[in-house]
Amino acid sequence: MRMIANYSKSGALRFTSHLDMQRLMQRALRRAGMPVAYSMGFNPHPQLSFASALALGYTSDAEWVDIKLNEHVEPETFVARMNAALPDGATILSASVAEGRSPALTALIERASYRVDMDFERPVDQQKIIKQIEDMLAGEIIVNKKTKGGWKDVDIRPQVLLMRLIGLEGQKATFEIEGVLDAYGSLQMELLLQAFTQRLGETAAWRVHRTSVHFRQLGV
Amino acid sequence: MDISALDAILKNVEKPGRYTGGEWNIIVKEKAKLNIALGFPDVYEIGMSHLGSRILYHTLNLREDIRCERAYAPWTDMEEALREAGLPLFSLETKTPLAEFDIVGFSLLYEMCYTNILSMLELAGIPLLCADRNDLHPLIFAGGPCACNSEPLAEIVDAVMIGDGEELFLDVADVCLKAREQGLNRMETLKALANVPGVYVPGFYEATYNQGSFVEVKKLEKSAPDQPVRRIVKDLDSAPYIGKPIVPNIQIVHDRVALELFRGCTRGCRFCQAGYIYRPVRERKLETLLAMAKELIASTGYDELSLFSLSSSDYSCIHELIAELLEKTKAQHISLSLPSLRIDSFLQEELERMQSVRKAGLTFAPEAGTQRLRDVINKGVTEEDLLRSVTGAFEAGWTSVKLYFMIGLPTETDEDILGIAQLCKKVSRAFYSLPKEKRGKGLRLSVSASSFVPKPFTPFQWVAQDSVQELRRKQMLLSQALKGARGVEFKYHESGLSRLEAVFSRGDRRLGAVLIEAYRRGCRFDSWSEYFKPAAWEEAFEACGLTMDEYIYRERSVDEPLPWDHIDMLVDKNYLVAERENALKEIVTPDCRLGCNGCFGEKHADDCQLF
Repeated sequence: MRMIANYSKSGALRFTSHLDMQRLMQRALRRAGMPVAYSMGFNPHPQLSFASALALGYTSDAEWVDIKLNEHVEPETFVARMNAALPDGATILSASVAEGRSPALTALIERASYRVDMDFERPVDQQKIIKQIEDMLAGEIIVNKKTKGGWKDVDIRPQVLLMRLIGLEGQKATFEIEGVLDAYGSLQMELLLQAFTQRLGETAAWRVHRTSVHFRQLGV
Repeated sequence: MDISALDAILKNVEKPGRYTGGEWNIIVKEKAKLNIALGFPDVYEIGMSHLGSRILYHTLNLREDIRCERAYAPWTDMEEALREAGLPLFSLETKTPLAEFDIVGFSLLYEMCYTNILSMLELAGIPLLCADRNDLHPLIFAGGPCACNSEPLAEIVDAVMIGDGEELFLDVADVCLKAREQGLNRMETLKALANVPGVYVPGFYEATYNQGSFVEVKKLEKSAPDQPVRRIVKDLDSAPYIGKPIVPNIQIVHDRVALELFRGCTRGCRFCQAGYIYRPVRERKLETLLAMAKELIASTGYDELSLFSLSSSDYSCIHELIAELLEKTKAQHISLSLPSLRIDSFLQEELERMQSVRKAGLTFAPEAGTQRLRDVINKGVTEEDLLRSVTGAFEAGWTSVKLYFMIGLPTETDEDILGIAQLCKKVSRAFYSLPKEKRGKGLRLSVSASSFVPKPFTPFQWVAQDSVQELRRKQMLLSQALKGARGVEFKYHESGLSRLEAVFSRGDRRLGAVLIEAYRRGCRFDSWSEYFKPAAWEEAFEACGLTMDEYIYRERSVDEPLPWDHIDMLVDKNYLVAERENALKEIVTPDCRLGCNGCFGEKHADDCQLF
């Protein structure tokens, strides 16, 4: 059977890389005594796949993993036993049984929503922020991006689906941002936020939290 | 400690997971009577791979009145960030500044970590020298293998724990608790500590020199022992192990369950310090190990188990152990690895059985290229042994084999160096002469040659080290000779580093000043080649009026006083002298499981229960 689980990543774990998260999840599955299926072949490995990677330092309520199990496990049992086996900072929020033939999560994922908390070095005017978002979204957003062929100027505008200010108090601003998240090219949040603060002419520190991801078919 | 300030820093450093804590099985206590920080003078990934610290972490935390936390050397980017933000070095568990602990203990695994002790102390706001600390500062301890000659740190650490720490550290904790109850000051506490068997308080002894040569160590404090004696855990089987070990959130060097089969080694390789300073051999029972393995796997979720000891295939019940472990772990997809395999004592049958799980590489350590030199170093292994073992492994499907050698060994000639190449070629041929259907695809034979470093408390503690030029020449000679050997990958170590290691391993107290000079010149993480600063070290020696050469290139006579003579490591010095003679005469000393060789002399004969 296939178990699709939604988990959160926070606290100390936000500094754990995607590769390390995969290992961490495998170990938690073993500790929880889950009957994980192994691949055949020379070096059998546990069959689990993740919907997407999360940048180092980001927190999330929308991480997804697809696990193949050899025996039937009730989703409630899965959630309870896994949460007893996961370290602080990782919590299974929900789990459901997937149809055997539904495609991999990576093939279904389309976009993600984020909440960005930004600390400016000085108070910034609300209208100025809103205007800057509008201006930025109206044209190209050219950033210098490291690619396989070296550093290149690229337009990341097509990957930004939504950006709006949802709160402002003194130097603290909160944004809602939605970006493309798929196998072909995802929004690199850091590049967007750097471009934005630069255009705004302000220095800021930020925290990024992934609030949800959107899959085709699954409708979540 | 300001967590949000820490947060801002972590975003900008490499591998922030090194500093966050929060791992599975971490032990976080709110309050305890005695607070101990275990400081590891290298990065997290290395420190967390050290079994000894893990044993101590568990053992100390078993006590309700003790809170034991961890701290590792911050990588250079983190050091800079902490300094810039004005934040002190803190523990991972409760983010408590190190200066607020009662005891800070450092593990001395290798000499090249000493400058990191200084950076950790300074970042913690603790004075570097014992003389500058007062009652408000933690007591600074050191322990681990290099504690057998801690003289270079004599002015930096307040006290040294020599030998096994399981019981010793608890005794130290008890003395500290009692001292506090009695209202003892720092000096009085140290006096009480000096009387705990296994504790050495360097400040209670004075080293004297005459015209630049070491003369003797004199005792200054009457109540301190004449000779601090190494402590051993007699009954390892009932000693605490690592409990439910911490499972790091980031990948570490030894990212697996380590099952310690036994401590000590009976082989008596003459270059090997561990072989001498962990004597006698003490085994855990088969049932104990099987129960431990089960619990360790269940509590960690690791899928790899490694058998740990100085020579795992010498374990009395190794065949039963491997058979039982394989039986139990196969269904769970757990792979088994033997990191320190001796080439003369394992069965092909086991290799074939191990094949059923994931294959780890196999490592063999012939150490020298000719039988003559292997007899000198007492590595009782023959060419036939090696070839039989590797052929067995190749037939069982292994394609990746590592061979470890040393160059610069006493009495070594070019013939011995060329012998290494010949041996490697024979191993390569053993692979390629098997019929194609009986072997794997391509051979990966990694050959590694490290430079010999003479160590205290070994029969080679008196010998001179080869010069850097000579070591380089031998490396080139070997590299040339290995050309054309199929499947061979040759690696050798930076000889400049071996030179510095040789200085500090047999160092005296004058090196403390050199350490501080080198640290001030930016030396950190010296064992990491990208940070090793040979020029800064040269300057540091010069600034202190010392030269490295006098420590390295001088052959000592056996009746010359040595800076570490006042430490009693249980092995009799006369035994080391005799073994030195045997080495020069190419006489092999048999494994002491076959009969006692009397290494503990009369004084400590009772400490070994092998017979």
